[in-house]
Amino acid sequence: MANAGNEIAFKKETVAKLLTRSFKEDKTKVSSDAVVLVTEMLKVFVEEATRRAVKQASSEDCDTVDIEHFEKILPQLLLDF
Amino acid sequence: MDTLKEGDTLLRLKAAVHYTVGSLCQHIAADCEKQITKQTIAAIAETAFRQCDIFAKDLEAFARHAKRHTVTVDDVKLTARRTTALYNYIQKKSEELALNNQELKEKRKKNAAKRKSKDMEAEENEVED
Repeated sequence: MANAGNEIAFKKETVAKLLTRSFKEDKTKVSSDAVVLVTEMLKVFVEEATRRAVKQASSEDCDTVDIEHFEKILPQLLLDF
Repeated sequence: MDTLKEGDTLLRLKAAVHYTVGSLCQHIAADCEKQITKQTIAAIAETAFRQCDIFAKDLEAFARHAKRHTVTVDDVKLTARRTTALYNYIQKKSEELALNNQELKEKRKKNAAKRKSKDMEAEENEVED
């Protein structure tokens, strides 16, 4: 899978907070290794979204990636994840 | 009072996500020699935020199904099951993590052993005096 800017990543604390606030039960916790993996998943998600939108823009001969390019690739992106 | 705090935390989280997403998008777009609009970045950030909510709910369901209260690496791997390439990538990352943890453990063991032998030496020297 692509490696976009190995330094750019989601912060572990941010991802941990994001997860815990979506849990329905107070008892549910996340292991720190799991947080690291979810961080990876999110990064891949964003990378895929961007690269697919870029490809869409290219196929339409556009130099700027516009929201309509993102909208076109969104359904398949969500199905793939 | 609580709802104010809750709203504030939500905004901060969204802002944090938006910041990282923005950096990633700019980096990739530049790499592909394209421009990307702020609107598009905002849309990707919002989608990522919502996707994280979906991940969380799935993870909680998997953990509960396994009669656990703590979400583990195995639960995360399950959420990546839909696309083979993604699953393989996450599998690789989890193996790297496990290896890393193993190395850290061994380092700590060595350091603890070193400290112990240093302490014992110090004791012996004291006794000699």
